[in-house]
Amino acid sequence: MNPQHLIPVADTIPVHWGWLQFLLILTFTLHLLAMNAMLGSGIITLIREFIQGDQSHQINKEVSLKLPYTIAFTVNMGVAPLLFLQVLYGHFIYTSSILMAVYWISIILVLILAYYAAYIYDFKFDALGEARKIFIALCVILLLWTGFIFSNNMVLMIQPEKWTAYFRNPFGTLLNLKDPMLLPRYLHFVVASVAVGGLCQAIVYTLRQSKQGNVDAVRSGLNWFSGATCVQLAVGIWFLVSLPKDKMMLFMGQGTLHTTVLILGIFGSIAALITASKGRVWMTSALTLATIIAMVLARDLLRAAFLTPYFSPADLKVAPEYSPMVVFLVSFAAGIGIIVYMLKLAASGKEG
Amino acid sequence: MNYPVWELYTTGGGLFIACIAVIHVYVAHFAVGGGLFLVWAEKRAYRQNSDPLLAYVKQHTKFFLLLTMVFGSITGVGIWFTISLLNPSATSTLIHTFVFGWATEWVCFLGEIVALFIYFYTFGKISRKNHLKIGWLYFIFAWLSLFLINGIIDFMLTPGQWLQDKSFWSGFFNPSMWPALAFRTAVAFMFAGVFGFLTSMFIKEKALRDSMNRACALWIIIPFALMVASGYWYFSVLPDSVKLMVTQYSPELLPYVNVMVAGGAVLFIGAVFLALSLPLPVKKITAFIILIFGLVYMGGFEFLREGGRRPYAIYNHTYANAIKVTDQEQINAKGFLASAKWVFNRQITPENKLAAGRELFRHQCSFCHSVGGPMKDILKLTAGYSEFGIDSRLDGQGKVNPYMPPFMGTVAERKALAAYIVQGLHTRKDVPDIVVPAEDKPVDIPVFDPDEDEYVLLAWNNLGMHCISDSDPYWVLLPPANDLFAQVIRRGELPEVVTQGVEITYAVEKGFENPSAHVKFWDHVKSNFGTQPEKNIGLSGNGLSGTMHLSQDLMAYEASLIPVVPYPDDGSYNPYPTFTIEARDKKTGKVLAKTRTVAPTATEMGCKNCHGGQWRVNKVAGFTDETSANILALHDKNSGTTLLEMAENGKPQLCQSCHADPILGTKGKPDLLNFPAAIHGWHANFLSNRDTSACYKCHPSRPDGPTQCLRGAHANNLDCTFCHGYLEDHALSLLKKEEEMGKPGAKRLMAHLTPRTAKSLEEINPRTPWLNEPDCLNCHVDFERPDIETASGFNRWTQGPEELFRLRHEYTGTLMCQACHGATHAVYPAKNKLSPDLDNIQPLQYQKNRRPMGFKNCWVCHMVPMNIPPAHHPMRDMAFMEDITEQ
Repeated sequence: MNPQHLIPVADTIPVHWGWLQFLLILTFTLHLLAMNAMLGSGIITLIREFIQGDQSHQINKEVSLKLPYTIAFTVNMGVAPLLFLQVLYGHFIYTSSILMAVYWISIILVLILAYYAAYIYDFKFDALGEARKIFIALCVILLLWTGFIFSNNMVLMIQPEKWTAYFRNPFGTLLNLKDPMLLPRYLHFVVASVAVGGLCQAIVYTLRQSKQGNVDAVRSGLNWFSGATCVQLAVGIWFLVSLPKDKMMLFMGQGTLHTTVLILGIFGSIAALITASKGRVWMTSALTLATIIAMVLARDLLRAAFLTPYFSPADLKVAPEYSPMVVFLVSFAAGIGIIVYMLKLAASGKEG
Repeated sequence: MNYPVWELYTTGGGLFIACIAVIHVYVAHFAVGGGLFLVWAEKRAYRQNSDPLLAYVKQHTKFFLLLTMVFGSITGVGIWFTISLLNPSATSTLIHTFVFGWATEWVCFLGEIVALFIYFYTFGKISRKNHLKIGWLYFIFAWLSLFLINGIIDFMLTPGQWLQDKSFWSGFFNPSMWPALAFRTAVAFMFAGVFGFLTSMFIKEKALRDSMNRACALWIIIPFALMVASGYWYFSVLPDSVKLMVTQYSPELLPYVNVMVAGGAVLFIGAVFLALSLPLPVKKITAFIILIFGLVYMGGFEFLREGGRRPYAIYNHTYANAIKVTDQEQINAKGFLASAKWVFNRQITPENKLAAGRELFRHQCSFCHSVGGPMKDILKLTAGYSEFGIDSRLDGQGKVNPYMPPFMGTVAERKALAAYIVQGLHTRKDVPDIVVPAEDKPVDIPVFDPDEDEYVLLAWNNLGMHCISDSDPYWVLLPPANDLFAQVIRRGELPEVVTQGVEITYAVEKGFENPSAHVKFWDHVKSNFGTQPEKNIGLSGNGLSGTMHLSQDLMAYEASLIPVVPYPDDGSYNPYPTFTIEARDKKTGKVLAKTRTVAPTATEMGCKNCHGGQWRVNKVAGFTDETSANILALHDKNSGTTLLEMAENGKPQLCQSCHADPILGTKGKPDLLNFPAAIHGWHANFLSNRDTSACYKCHPSRPDGPTQCLRGAHANNLDCTFCHGYLEDHALSLLKKEEEMGKPGAKRLMAHLTPRTAKSLEEINPRTPWLNEPDCLNCHVDFERPDIETASGFNRWTQGPEELFRLRHEYTGTLMCQACHGATHAVYPAKNKLSPDLDNIQPLQYQKNRRPMGFKNCWVCHMVPMNIPPAHHPMRDMAFMEDITEQ
């Protein structure tokens, strides 16, 4: 069966695909940052709970206070790219979601449980005592599961040739576990989270007044970052070689743009390692952000490469109506403005 | 068809959407109304300078945060996930149309989250004024997100102008958007009160608790009026088709109205109750009950809204099974399996029929029908039906009742789906009807002495077949009621039809004298007919034997409504009991003439072919309770009656008590279609493009069946459709008349019937049943042999009863047509299933052939050869009669 025949017919889009692609990449990057902070902080805290126990009581408590925020923003920031993904690639993502429907829909319950586990870890941190390890573990494991399912879906989405498996199994339990790309890709995101989680810790404690405890926390955060980034470079290589040969070669010289972003990403992370070793938190953050952006672009290029035989967003028919987008952009700007205002009010203290 | 379908069984039919959507919507409305509640409560605390109240507000905020931020928001994403999995086609349309509406809603979500976090975490840490500002901003963001999603939801029900211009703005500002927004806003405030009750129950200080209870009661009571008013407004803007769907076409939706009313009543009354000073345990329980009923109320409303949208997911655009309205024509032309992307079996073969049927079920049915689950379980809904029944049901789907999309695909695909449902899902195989071979029983022909006998006695049953519905405990459409006629002819050069001085008696053959032992007619006749004849006596007082009465107009003797049934005492099925007719001199009592005739009577009424159940008698005839009850159950469902309940309470009804019928002389209810128009009009929608098989699925004319009622000369090379038209035409001729008479129900039944014998509906001539029938002379022009190429009995009707074959006379006005030619559907020469000559007794008796009386031997009555042109009717080309093979 020719996979091309399985690809559903796409609906029209209301604006030029470039707008939607831009919004997708922008909002996905925001989601990724929040997700990295959430998952990474969670993993680091979990490991610390088990290895250091009460020694890291203070810092773990700090994380517990913020973990629910990160989940809230990860979910919220996930809504927007999921929306734009459906507009540009809906005929792919809906299909792959259906093929693994049972796992996909499990995310809802899993996320609710992970979220509540995080709140329990937060609100009952002291009251639970040792038992709090259960909740942070639960939270992290459930979030790791969520990420795994997402990786699965993203990989299945870009390989229509695998979709024929549906005819042997229409029950929504298809996971393409045999795909060599899946594990390194997933681990790439998980390890990145640890790096970013560590970096977040460094940033948070840098922003506080300089005290020894805080300085140690900054150093430890940068250490987490550095360690994870080293592992990340290895995982990244594994990810690269697990790609089908033609896609891999795009990133290794054949595709100018592909190779450029990959090189930028690698150099960015190495540079960040260097600045991290020097304790330069802000520079490390800037370089990491640049690396992440490069990697998001690489991911997008990889998706496009897989879909090239079948589809590109430029194929989508436009039934133009720009006014709703204008309203959205204006609302977005206004929304950001109001949020900034609210943050100001929050920081205003009792006198304000 | 554009997307793969997730195959679910027990959890199918939209269960996931139902669960997650109702739960999310409940919490989400609270998230909106609760925002204002928080601000109001905080202000109240400052105004009253009450620290305990402020503490409560803080506690309530924590509850609010944990419920709406986690559960509320994730279930919202959950709806998105679910609808993409269960109906990606419709979801894609929504996403591509409203992407920037949703994107704007996302901005509101972001604002809500930031606002709520700040509100909770800076409680007591920033100035009161600023804290309230944050609260207000939360509420504004929350209400705006409701505003945005509401437009999209209502679009699905009333897309309005968008169907033409495809504009975001037309779609968003659709006809039901504003009333729904008012409604949901009111509900949001009410739910704020509901959840407020829950948390305020845990305030320790009684005075504060009671005061908060009273306040929460007002949060329910005050918006209640707005909720009711906007509910009415909402209903009023809905298109008629939606209103009809809820009130008429999908009667299972009406209970949800009651659910809403009950839920709303509990909320209101509960609120008033909780405003009183009552013991705390009672209050806590009441608060919990109100919480449950809030969910019940919301669920009732959402179910109604979704159900009212049937058969669409997006009204007039995408059906609930994800097929677009614009694809329908192509699918029916090419076939579904050839048109769909995600099917494996592209053609149907005997080997893959069930597999193909399974794919058809997945793609067209499983969106609403679970298999063994709570959502419209297909197993329950199709239990007991045959493949033919399911296939017919699919044929008529979405035609007279639009609550389901029509089946889309070829006839072979439709049959494959029916096969899958019966064989695949029910793991049943149909019991085919048995083939009844023709029998060759001997016939007793009475004696006639052509030289000595002075009289010729002719007798017949006016209808070639009288059908009986022996479903009496449930309903009746035709009782045991044969009409026998007789004419006595005094032989001579100028024969005379005798109407004085003779007494004609009739008596049924042995074994048929006790019909009450075999049918339940007499047990229920009071309810069905309003009268109580004795057992074995018919509705006009005649029994199985007796005297015939003279009808002066017809110049014939008649015994009406003889209650003979096709069940002799030996337990068999025999639709052709014979009667002995004798003419006696009234004065002397001497027998002047004697003959026999068949009184055809059949209970081979094929309702069980679609309505479930089997034959009751000998596997060939008769109604079982299962079939009879099913018919009433469906009639109740489709027409809002309570006939099944009435029957089960011992009060079965005559169908024609509501539906007028000339043959029974009932007037029925003035607004309802007459019975033949109703029954044929309804069922024609389920039996489209059939040949004469559509007739014998109901009528006892199955060629392999035990009755085979079309058995006269015409049966050689004609079937029912030659005179009566195909079922569509037959129905349209009746319905057209009803439409002209202004009956409201005709249009709906006609809408999907396509004429076949006639070229268009305009060409079809309307007719009154039983009175306007095909005229023999349509084909036998001037009594001649028909032109096979052009002859058609359909569409030219007898003007009135005097032109009907069964009531008509020849030119002299004395002899009835049937006297010489035999009964309708059994005109001489006939061939009877039970015994070939059972319908030819009189020609064999009087003239030793099977031809019409007097065929080439006028002397039967005239006793001399007749060399003048016949006075009865032209018989110019007698030669053609030679060609009819004697059977």
